[in-house]
Amino acid sequence: MASLIETLVEELKAKLIAGFRLEGVTAATINADMPIFGGGLGLDSIDALELVAILEQDYGIVITERAVANKAFASVRALAEFVAANRA
Amino acid sequence: MIRRHPVVTGTGIVCAAGDGVPAVWESIRANRSGLGPLTLFPSARYANHLVGQVRADVDARAGRVRGSRSDKLAWIAAREALAAAGLENMDPARTGVLLGATVGGMAATEEVLAALLRDNRRAFGPLRFHECAGAAVLCAKKIGARGPVATFSTACSAGAMAILAAAEFIEQGEADVMLVGAADSLARFTLNGFGSLLLLDPNGCRPFDARRAGISLGEGAAMLVLEAEETAMARGAKVLARLSGWGASCDAFHATAPQPEGLGAFAAMSRALERGDLGPGEIDFVSAHGTATPDNDAMEARALKKLFGDRVPPFGSVKRFFGHTLAASGAIKAVLAVQSLREQATPGTPGFEVADEKIGLQPVREFRPQPLGHVLSNSFGFGGNNVALVFSDSRRRRGEEAHSESRSRRHCFAPARADSNRFAILGAGVVSPAGNSIEEVAATFGAGGARVSAFSVPVASPATTTRVCACGEFGAEQFIEPAKRRRLSRLQQLTLVAARRSLAPELLAGVAPERICVAIGTGLGALADTAAFLENMILKDERAPRPAAFTGSVHNSLASQVAIEMNLAGPNFTPVPRGIPFETALWQATTEIGAGRADLALVGAADELNQYQLAAGMRWGWWDEASPEIRPLPGEGGAVFTLGPIENKSAPLASVSAIRIGRGENVEAEAQAEWICETLARAGIAAGEVDALLTGTIGLRATDEYCRVLGAALSRRAGREVLRLDYQRCCGEHHSASAFGFLTAIGLVRGEIPVEPACRTVAIFTLTTDGTRGMCCVRA
Repeated sequence: MASLIETLVEELKAKLIAGFRLEGVTAATINADMPIFGGGLGLDSIDALELVAILEQDYGIVITERAVANKAFASVRALAEFVAANRA
Repeated sequence: MIRRHPVVTGTGIVCAAGDGVPAVWESIRANRSGLGPLTLFPSARYANHLVGQVRADVDARAGRVRGSRSDKLAWIAAREALAAAGLENMDPARTGVLLGATVGGMAATEEVLAALLRDNRRAFGPLRFHECAGAAVLCAKKIGARGPVATFSTACSAGAMAILAAAEFIEQGEADVMLVGAADSLARFTLNGFGSLLLLDPNGCRPFDARRAGISLGEGAAMLVLEAEETAMARGAKVLARLSGWGASCDAFHATAPQPEGLGAFAAMSRALERGDLGPGEIDFVSAHGTATPDNDAMEARALKKLFGDRVPPFGSVKRFFGHTLAASGAIKAVLAVQSLREQATPGTPGFEVADEKIGLQPVREFRPQPLGHVLSNSFGFGGNNVALVFSDSRRRRGEEAHSESRSRRHCFAPARADSNRFAILGAGVVSPAGNSIEEVAATFGAGGARVSAFSVPVASPATTTRVCACGEFGAEQFIEPAKRRRLSRLQQLTLVAARRSLAPELLAGVAPERICVAIGTGLGALADTAAFLENMILKDERAPRPAAFTGSVHNSLASQVAIEMNLAGPNFTPVPRGIPFETALWQATTEIGAGRADLALVGAADELNQYQLAAGMRWGWWDEASPEIRPLPGEGGAVFTLGPIENKSAPLASVSAIRIGRGENVEAEAQAEWICETLARAGIAAGEVDALLTGTIGLRATDEYCRVLGAALSRRAGREVLRLDYQRCCGEHHSASAFGFLTAIGLVRGEIPVEPACRTVAIFTLTTDGTRGMCCVRA
C-alpha cells in the first residue's frame, strides 16, 4: 500500500506540474505534505476546480461537493490516498 | 437644474414561477417554488437537477420573432411591460432599450457545434443569434426605438446594471423612455459551467440555510418601462414605483468568489442609498442576491450587518421561486420590488429552513404583508461586479420623509453631461493587427494598410485558411507575471496588456482605487475559451468540464480581470452591443467622471478572431478576400484608454466629447450626417470645425460607398472638404474596432499619423447593419 501511495504521489506531482504549467517547479520541490492550494505553488481555487476535472478525466473520480474537494486537496499525499480509495 | 427622476410605468416577467406578473405574484403569494425537472434539452450530467425552466411554450408565446430562446423570452416580458405602460405616440428618438444578457444564443450555438463536431454537419444558421446583443436590438426594432440601445454583460448583475445605466441616460436627459431588463435562457454551457465550479445544488437552492450547497440554474426575462417622471406625468401615465437610488462597485478581488467581508456589496448598497438620499433606517426590505452558494450568502449577510448594524431590515431571497436566472435575476428582482411596493407585501424565502449560526441572520420565510416605503435589491456578479437598486413607493411623495427635502436640495445636481463636457485622454494602450503602439500604428498607416495574415479554419469544409487582420505577439510576458498569465485567456491577456500600457503609474498618485472606474466592452468575448469549453463538453459528453475555460469565457472577465490585477475598485462596466461596445463604455465611464464619482477611468474594448465565427462567415459569403473595399477583412484586437476630467493636472494626449450611442435603421447617409452634426452641436462643435471623419461599419456591404456618401454629406454641412478615412482598413472588421478608430483619431490630432492638411478635430462614426450607431469626437 505504501509503495502504491508513493507511486501515486509522484504521478500526481507530474500531473500538477504539467496540468498547471508550473514553471520552475519539479517533483522534488513539491512537498507532498504541504497544502496544494493557497500555498507555495501559487495555485488558487479555480486551479482546485481544474484538478477536480483532471481527477474525473484520469481516474474516473467524480467530485460534486466543495467540502470533499477541500479535504482531498489538503496535500499531495492526502490526494494520493483519496485517489487510491476512490478511483474507478 | 432639477434631477429628472426615473419612475417605473410598466413591468413584465416570464420565468419558472409563472408567465406574466400576476402569475408570478400568485406563486410568490403561495410561497410556491417553480423549480422542476430539466426537459428543455438532454443532459448527460445534470438531467436529475432541479432547474427553473420556463414551462410556457416560449416559441408560441413570442409570436413572430426570429431569434434565440433568450431573445424570445425578452420579447415576451417586454410586450407585457410595454402594454402595462400604455406607451403610445412616444417619440422614437427619445426612446431607448438597455438590456442585460450573459447567455444570448448559447443554447443554440452548442447544438451547432455538437452537429459539427459529432456528425460533421454544418448548420451554422443559429450562430446569427449567438450574441448577447440580439434581444435589445430585437426589442428596439419592435418598438421603433431610436434612442440609446445597448446591452450589458456583467454576469449575474447584468440586468440590474442595465437598469442602473438606463437611470443615468434618463437623468442626463438623453432619453425620456427606456425599456430595461434582461433575459437569459437555460443552456448546457451554463449548467456545465456552474457545475464545474461545484456551485450547483441538485436538490434545489436553499438561500441562507445552514445546509445551503449552491444555486439552482433558471431562465427567464423581466422588463421594466423606465421613464423620466416629468414625461410620465405629462402623458398621464400610472407610476408604479420610483427608482430612487442605484449604485455599483467592483470587488477587484477574484474571478468568481466574492470578497468574503462583503466590502464590494457594502459599497454598492451604500452608493445606492446615498444616491437616493436615504439613510439605512429608511430601507424597509432587502431583496437579497441570496444565491444559496456558501460564499455569497455569508458575504451578503456580513455586508448587510456592516451597512445596517444591529438593525438589519427584513430581507429574503426569491431564488428558489425560479432559480438563478443569471442576467435576468436583477431584472426579475426589480419587477418584484415594484410589485412588493404596490402590494405592500414581501416575498418569502422558500428553501430556507435551518438558520445558519455563522450567518447570524434569518430571512423572511413566508409571504407577508408589510408597510413598505423603500426596497433595496442586490445583484452581484462574477468578477465582483456589484449593483444595488432602491425602488420606492410612488404614492409617498418625495419630501414626505421629514428630512429628505433639504437633503434632496443639497444633493440636487445638474445633468452630468453639460453640452460642453470634454474629458481628458491621459493614456492609450493598444494591441492590434496594425501594431501595439501609436508609433507602430502610424507606420502601418503610412505604409498604406493592414498586416494581413492567413488564419487556419480547420472546421470549414474543406479545411482551409482565410485572410484576416490578426494580432501578432503583444508582449504579454512583459506585463503579466507567468503565474498569472498561465490561466488568463488570450483576450484577457490582450486586454490587460492594453490596460497596463494606457495607465501610467504616476496618474495613480493620490487616487483611491474606489475612484477608478473600468469600462471595457466586447462584442463576442473570449471566443477561444468559449469554444474550448464547448468542445470539451460536447466531445466528452459533459464529463470533466473545465472551469477555467468557463470563467474565462464570461464577457465581463475582461474588465473585472483588469480591475483585479490593477486594483481598481470603482464601478466596472462591460457593454456588449454590436459594433459599439467602445462608445458605450466611453459613455459609461464619462458619466462616472462627469458626475464626480470617478477621478480616472479605464475605457476600452476587445474582441478576438475564432475559427467557428470565420467558418460561418465564409459559408455566408460575408466578405470577399479579394475586395476588402466592399467589406473589410475580419479583424481583432483591443485598445484601452485612461480618461480623466478635463481639468486633470496631467497633460492630456487629447480630449474627447460628443459621445453618443443610438439606433437608426435604414437611415440614408444624409440623415446619418445630420445625426453626427446634431451630436457635435450638442457638444458645442460646429460641423465646419471637423477636419476628419473616421468611419467603420459592421456587417455592411458596400461600406466604402456608403461612407464616401456620408463623408460628402458631412463635407457639405461643414462647408469644406472633410477628410474621410476607414479606421477598419488597418485593424479589420470587428465589434471592438472603433476603439482602434479612437486610437487612430488620437494619432491624427497629435500629428503622429501625418495627413494633409493636419487635423485638430476628428469625429469617429460607427454603424452596424441592424442600425446600431455610435460616435465621439477627439480634439487636440
